Amino acid sequence: MDKDIAISVRGLGKRYVRNAGRKHNSLRDMLGDSLTTLATLGLRRKQKEYFWALSDASFDIRKGENVGIIGLNGAGKSTLLKVLSRIVTPTTGEAHISGRLGALLEVGTGFHQELTGRENTFLYGAILGMSRTEVEAKFDAIVDFAEIREFIDTPVKRYSSGMYVRLAFAVAAHLDPDILLLDEVLAVGDSAFQRKCMNFARSLEKKGSTILFVSHNMYSIKTMCQRVIYLKKGKIVFDGPTAEGLKLYEDDSRMKDAHWFWSDDDERPIRFTGGTVESSAGADTGVVAHGDRMTIRLRYSTTRRIMAPDVRVSIDRQDDTHCMTFSSKQDGVDLPWLEGEGELVIQTPPLKLTSDFYLANVAVRENGVGKLLVAQIIAHFHVSDPDLGSLSYGVFNETGGWRHTPIAAANDAGATIPPRATAVAR
Amino acid sequence: MNAAVQKALSTGAERHVVIRPTKGLFDLEIGNVWRYRELLHTLMMRDIQVLYKQATLGAAWAVIQPVFAVVVFTIVFGNFAKMPSDGIPYPIFAFAAVLPWTYFAEATRRSSTGLVDDADLVRKVYFPRLIIPLAKVSAPLLDFAIAFCVLLIMMAFYGIMPSVKLLAIIPLILVAGTLALAIGLWLGPINVRFRDVKHTVPFMLQIGMYASPIVYPLSQVPAEWKAVYSLNPMVGVIEGFRWAVFDRGSPDFVALGIGLLVVLALLLGGLVWFKNQERSFADVI
Repeated sequence: MDKDIAISVRGLGKRYVRNAGRKHNSLRDMLGDSLTTLATLGLRRKQKEYFWALSDASFDIRKGENVGIIGLNGAGKSTLLKVLSRIVTPTTGEAHISGRLGALLEVGTGFHQELTGRENTFLYGAILGMSRTEVEAKFDAIVDFAEIREFIDTPVKRYSSGMYVRLAFAVAAHLDPDILLLDEVLAVGDSAFQRKCMNFARSLEKKGSTILFVSHNMYSIKTMCQRVIYLKKGKIVFDGPTAEGLKLYEDDSRMKDAHWFWSDDDERPIRFTGGTVESSAGADTGVVAHGDRMTIRLRYSTTRRIMAPDVRVSIDRQDDTHCMTFSSKQDGVDLPWLEGEGELVIQTPPLKLTSDFYLANVAVRENGVGKLLVAQIIAHFHVSDPDLGSLSYGVFNETGGWRHTPIAAANDAGATIPPRATAVAR
Repeated sequence: MNAAVQKALSTGAERHVVIRPTKGLFDLEIGNVWRYRELLHTLMMRDIQVLYKQATLGAAWAVIQPVFAVVVFTIVFGNFAKMPSDGIPYPIFAFAAVLPWTYFAEATRRSSTGLVDDADLVRKVYFPRLIIPLAKVSAPLLDFAIAFCVLLIMMAFYGIMPSVKLLAIIPLILVAGTLALAIGLWLGPINVRFRDVKHTVPFMLQIGMYASPIVYPLSQVPAEWKAVYSLNPMVGVIEGFRWAVFDRGSPDFVALGIGLLVVLALLLGGLVWFKNQERSFADVI
């Protein structure tokens, strides 16, 4: 293996049995099944159904490279990280890893509720592969990073979820690995802490660490990775520059389930079969000017009547900030039910969102607040404006009504400029 | 970074790892367990710390359990049933046996269910899975040590002078621990697939207790059954304990020898079975 290669993967694959696992969780179930098999003389024996969560993956990652792994739900991203971190044994192929590897597939795995923050720091450190001396040496830095010094001797079951996550991430952040595998873990905590995590990841990058990074957050992928690997149904369909890969992914993700949506049954009572986000010019180009009226068209198809639906179209910024939602219920739309096929068109007011990348999602609940039936991605789009960038203008830009009333006369004000300020000006 | 950290980093690090679908049948990766010994220590300490947190009586439970068992045995078997105890006062006769048995039962219970209890870790973090049963059989040794102090007090009370032979309990408890580990290696992977193990173990231990010379002496077992009876390795351990504490007669080397062979066979088979199953733990747990 080349000396500059951190991870080398050849033909890696992982096969699972589709209908096993959960079913035979007690001996009784298994005995029951065996009896059925006997009774039917094994004629109706179920064939094992296999599926490949990951198949024939090959790539090399150089030392110091940051690579994003993208793909829809169930595309095999997490399986890939699990195989590389040795939690799961591959079915085919092999991988060579050179360097100290740290895997963060979930923040805080192994924390024990009854133990204090201090005890958990050592426990979690050991779980992640740090030695006791190492944790001791970094202990103060960890506590400072987590900002929980006054609670370090309190059992973590009394922590707020934010404190819990901060401590867990702080320990993980001090692992100092040569190769870091991250699965969605940066998407935790409040936004201030998230920024801290991103900065931290960037500092690792400067130190020359190799990072493999799974995320649905396109913004973090764009800022952290020069290269993306795009997985689709367990196969690598793209491996190359980030911009190109994200374009492919965004086109493919149209009308797919939102990444946070999970449903047990494949049968959805309602599905959106198509959707577009159009500018006032009527073009679905993925660009809408700030202040323009946007038209969202949705085609749906149902398998049964959906009573009193609340159809919601939400708009998220690329860093996962939820910016706004149009709700048919809130907007007082007369929708007693949806049945068969049809089209919904939403015309937005002039868009006040600042210039950035956004994602439009659609979700439906029955009877207003009932079970979430479906949540799908409509499209990614860009709100453009030469001046109103989201970094300096926030989420919305509205025109304010300004009025200026000077309290003191203008001449006096000029005379009272403090002497030091003038000195600085000179 | 100071020198200690540098050293820790270089020893803890795995410089080159190859991930492949198959391993050899007898590749037990003992070196890997050694590399993760700090985690073994930490998990053992965690189990000890957690056990008595928020229990008002704390570690006193380590004493209360065996003492109450002995009180009940003394009343029922010693007084009502007039069980012979080889001329030794019944309470201490029973306690010398309850002591290793309590440790063995606790270690077996924990090592059999440990993988599932730590399912989160198995699912999300890599480490040699052997660490879990190893930590689970080590943690109850603390309880054993505490209860052992009670034995010393009882010996003083009954005027039994400890002899050098008392040291024999160290290898004996190691045999009990190894047996618990071996059983855990067999049952742990089964528990990953079938949670029935959790319900079966306490019940098997209950039977095991009566199949061991705890409430009665070995001398009560019919001679023709003794060889079969000695297949239970705890027979040799418990009789060895009594020999070490009361300093009478000689240990039953036949029983101990048979027991040791059984433990060794169970352990080796268990290791191969466990390593073989280990690869699928994260998939099915």
